[in-house]
Amino acid sequence: MKSPLLNLIPGDTYIHKLTGKTKVRTFVILLIYIIMSFDLRLLLPLFIAGIIGLVSLRPEWKTLRYFFIVVAAVNLLNIVLFWLVNPDIGTFWCGGSRTVLISFTKKLFISLETLWYLSIRFFKMITSFLISMVFILSITPSELAAGLYSIKVPYKICTIFSIAFRYIPDIGRDYENIKISMQARGVELDPKKVPLIDRIKQNVLILVPLIITSFDRVGNISNAMDLRGYGRGKTRTYYSEHEEGRADKIFKVFYMGLLVFSAIWIVSRIISPPPSKMWYPFS
Amino acid sequence: MKSTSQKILGVWNTKTVVAVAIGAALFGVLMNYGGIPVFTNTKLTTAMIIPVIVGAMFGALPAAIACAVGNLIADLIGGWGYWFDWSIGNGVLGFIVGLLPLYGANIDEGIFKPVHAIIYAVACVIGNALAFGVITPIMTTLFYGGELEVTFLQAMAAGLSNTLVLVVIGIPILIILARRNARSTDLKLEEKEEQNI
Repeated sequence: MKSPLLNLIPGDTYIHKLTGKTKVRTFVILLIYIIMSFDLRLLLPLFIAGIIGLVSLRPEWKTLRYFFIVVAAVNLLNIVLFWLVNPDIGTFWCGGSRTVLISFTKKLFISLETLWYLSIRFFKMITSFLISMVFILSITPSELAAGLYSIKVPYKICTIFSIAFRYIPDIGRDYENIKISMQARGVELDPKKVPLIDRIKQNVLILVPLIITSFDRVGNISNAMDLRGYGRGKTRTYYSEHEEGRADKIFKVFYMGLLVFSAIWIVSRIISPPPSKMWYPFS
Repeated sequence: MKSTSQKILGVWNTKTVVAVAIGAALFGVLMNYGGIPVFTNTKLTTAMIIPVIVGAMFGALPAAIACAVGNLIADLIGGWGYWFDWSIGNGVLGFIVGLLPLYGANIDEGIFKPVHAIIYAVACVIGNALAFGVITPIMTTLFYGGELEVTFLQAMAAGLSNTLVLVVIGIPILIILARRNARSTDLKLEEKEEQNI
């Protein structure tokens, strides 16, 4: 199975050409920004920027579409469960009011606040997925390691990240191979023909060889790395890291500004909490 | 023999780095594709097996890091948003279930007796209770503020399903791995100078 998402060779679009440092720093700051903002006014610009970024990367839309459908479905399911747990959750987030639109029973109702809260939540998840897609599609494992190293992560941890990233397509390939060889031995794995309990059992059966082959490979990889002198020095430089270009400088101004903005936003929210926990236009 | 601190912190040579990385990748992928949803953002996932194996072979801290990094990767490719509280919770859980070498189980040399299985099962229950009953809710309030109600329900679902997976699938896999490695027990590896960094 060829993984359509993770790329190992640097691409040639505007975002691809940024250094790993810029990509990782921008991504980390955007993460802080997404987590802190439960606010449509903050999320919307990022959502638009995410779409522009994604289009500019010229990805394979066919596979991406599949991922987006899965993500949307999973998040919708989550939201329905959220609503079932506490149909009144919007009242807590939107400052105390409760406008019931439809009520099924006394405890189960749809209020405008809950609807607003849940749709913002959904929007937030989609935005964060969009940003991580742009990040994953634009970065290579070595750039990831280099970028993490530039934010003072110890380089052994950076290596863990980059090897893990590099290894994900291999897991997919191994899984396919094991599945095919199991089917060749007569194990039925078609979801339509096998009940759920059997499928769990068969997944475990695939898991054992998958884990064993993966950990068997540890020796080979680590020997190869040792032979090339990995882990001798206290610091490390990265071959994939090139000189900063003009685009990197533009991004630097952008992410520094965003960092300052996020810091001010978080501090101001702690010092003087707003009346409602999220921006709600209908109150 | 490894000292106690080495059993907990692990020996950070190249082999450990690679094993943790592969463990994290497996964790991330299994978290996404190897599970059945039980509750919001919670799955009956086979991913929890990975820290046990990493812990059994390399110590508790490598297991914790594999778990935490794995969760980050799962978040990155999963698309349900970023939940660092859960990454930390999983890290703590990874640490506790990865304590296998501390109480004498040694998968590398094929030692995994029924006593170890019992201690391991108890450790799983305690680890889940601590990680998802205490650590994750605290982190949730710190990072995201609120949503505690849902977090507690999620934590309960996650804790229960994790314990189930860890015990029901974990013990057989540990036995298989131990039996597989037991073949080489007659061979003694000369203790080589290990580089601590």
